[in-house]
Amino acid sequence: MTPPTPLLAARGAGRRFGHKSALEPVELELWDGDALALVGPNGAGKSTLLSLLAGALEASVGKVERRKGARVGWAPQRPAQYGRLSARENLELFARLEGEHDPRAAAERLLETFELPGEPEPSANLSVGNRQRLNLAISVLGSPDVLLLDEPTAALDPDQRRRLWDRVSALRAAGGAVVFATQNLEEVERFAERVAALREGRLVFAGTRDEYDRAHGESLSA
Amino acid sequence: MNRIALLLRKDVLVLRRSPLLLGILIAYPLTIALLVGLVASYGSSKPRVAFVDEDNLPASVVLGGKRFDVSHTIDQVSNNVKLVRLSSDEADRQLADGRVVAVVTVPPGFVSTLRGMVRSPQLELQLSTGTISSRVEQQVQALVYSLNRQLQRAYIASNLRYMKLILHGGDGSFLGAPITVLGIERAQRVLRSMPQSPRTAQLLDFLHDARLALANTNDALNSTAHPIELVREPARGRTWALSAEVQAYALGLTITFLALLLAAGSLAAERDENVIGRLARGLVGLGELVWSKVALAAVVAVALGLAIAVAFGLIIQVGNVTGGEPWRRLPLLVVGLLLAGGSLGALGALLGALAREARSASLVALLVVMPIVFLGLIPAEVVPPAGWLSDLLPFAHSVRFFRSALYDLSPWGEVLREGLWLVVLGAVFGGLARVGARRLLV
Repeated sequence: MTPPTPLLAARGAGRRFGHKSALEPVELELWDGDALALVGPNGAGKSTLLSLLAGALEASVGKVERRKGARVGWAPQRPAQYGRLSARENLELFARLEGEHDPRAAAERLLETFELPGEPEPSANLSVGNRQRLNLAISVLGSPDVLLLDEPTAALDPDQRRRLWDRVSALRAAGGAVVFATQNLEEVERFAERVAALREGRLVFAGTRDEYDRAHGESLSA
Repeated sequence: MNRIALLLRKDVLVLRRSPLLLGILIAYPLTIALLVGLVASYGSSKPRVAFVDEDNLPASVVLGGKRFDVSHTIDQVSNNVKLVRLSSDEADRQLADGRVVAVVTVPPGFVSTLRGMVRSPQLELQLSTGTISSRVEQQVQALVYSLNRQLQRAYIASNLRYMKLILHGGDGSFLGAPITVLGIERAQRVLRSMPQSPRTAQLLDFLHDARLALANTNDALNSTAHPIELVREPARGRTWALSAEVQAYALGLTITFLALLLAAGSLAAERDENVIGRLARGLVGLGELVWSKVALAAVVAVALGLAIAVAFGLIIQVGNVTGGEPWRRLPLLVVGLLLAGGSLGALGALLGALAREARSASLVALLVVMPIVFLGLIPAEVVPPAGWLSDLLPFAHSVRFFRSALYDLSPWGEVLREGLWLVVLGAVFGGLARVGARRLLV
């Protein structure tokens, strides 16, 4: 039976920076098991929408609702971690902040899962790919019900991409949901069930992947 | 461990991993404190005063039989000012543009009036307008006083020579003319060799009394010249470098610098590292984030302030310097360091929130430190608005807390008052920083 409230919902949520509108009011709901792809050109408002859904930004208008008890993980486009701390220290710190029962064990587990170096080297010295992996590893701390991923595979090698999507599939199978922003149409085709298209800060399309394909006059899977 | 403690632990770890930055953060304010102290000490003790000689003073002047080397005498008496010999026009120009704070002019006829010993010659004094003119006037008055003392000694010596001549008789000179004086002693001998009568007995009585009176002239003349004499005892207090004032200012300046920079830089760095959004989405509230920076500033202030206080205490102990209670008062000082570090950290956090970027925040904090410190250094009684403004900032309250905590016989009233100021200012700046921290999310 479908729960009475969505896991996450944008209720006319929009954001202005000074006089400039970054995102016009958006209506969006995310339900259990959902996989929503955010598409659109650069500057369309995808990252702003994800930040609003994550609670990292406050909405200038409208609001974002979260089902009571639902936990949200967020991996912003630019890695968000402390450069002078090692990967392990970053994971331990955020594990404690997320309220993980055993922060050390959680950090150890994610170091292994995301194949991150365990040395005390500052994370600022890691390769771009490793920093992105750490960024993603931090986002899955606290066992989130919803994952918000902003162009998550941009700096990952094929093997790491596969592992990430495996993890996302496992989350969805357990009743969780994922929203990901991407410029990669193949990822939309393979991993999204619904699509929201943004252009110049406006939501110009929201529907299933098939509806999106039809609206664009061709099937991406063709 | 709560969230503030977690972030504080992280910041301390980050700080420990930046030894060069930490070293500079500690060494720089200490150096500035020393330099400010030196400049303040030099600046307050030696104002530049122009000396205009319109009388063409000779190399030496003979007054009351004593020869004065004019340059040497002026150097001797001008301990508290730096006298610069200038022409009248140049002195006026430098007074107008502030390069000298006063002009002392020796008018024409000064030496001849002095030699005449009939009326007092006059020195002319012109002062610049401004806050230190009254202090300079006092210093020039002290200079004239010292000069008068030197001349007085010569005059008294000259008068005493006349008294000796009157007492013992002999050859001398008066206003340049040679004179021969019989003298009281010789007059007594002459009278005794004469036939004795009631009248000679009367004269002998008078000469006896006069001789006794003149025998005390030396002390009488000296005490007339100096009704009250100031006797300087050997120095026993602390040297300037170890004074309570210097220690309080060194602590205040170092902590102000550190707390402002650390809190401003570390708050803005949360945005630079793109972590602020991750924290703000429910992991850590913006208020908690601000207070973690306040706590960082307070912890570093306590650590560094305590190290400075212990270093001072050891020097005082080893040097066997008297005064003050460096060890027993350390717990009270720790309270002051905590409050001062926190209050200044809150102000730093506000700057960090407003600047938004770590580099800009550090630069703004660096630019703000000096005005805050100098406002606190200006005596409120000299420039009241500076005092009022300084009261709205934590530096002056911190210095007063430290001074009182370390050295006042009964510090509680002052410590309580200044501690309350620091708490209130910290709460106000912290509240403003909390509001301003929303800018970091943009």
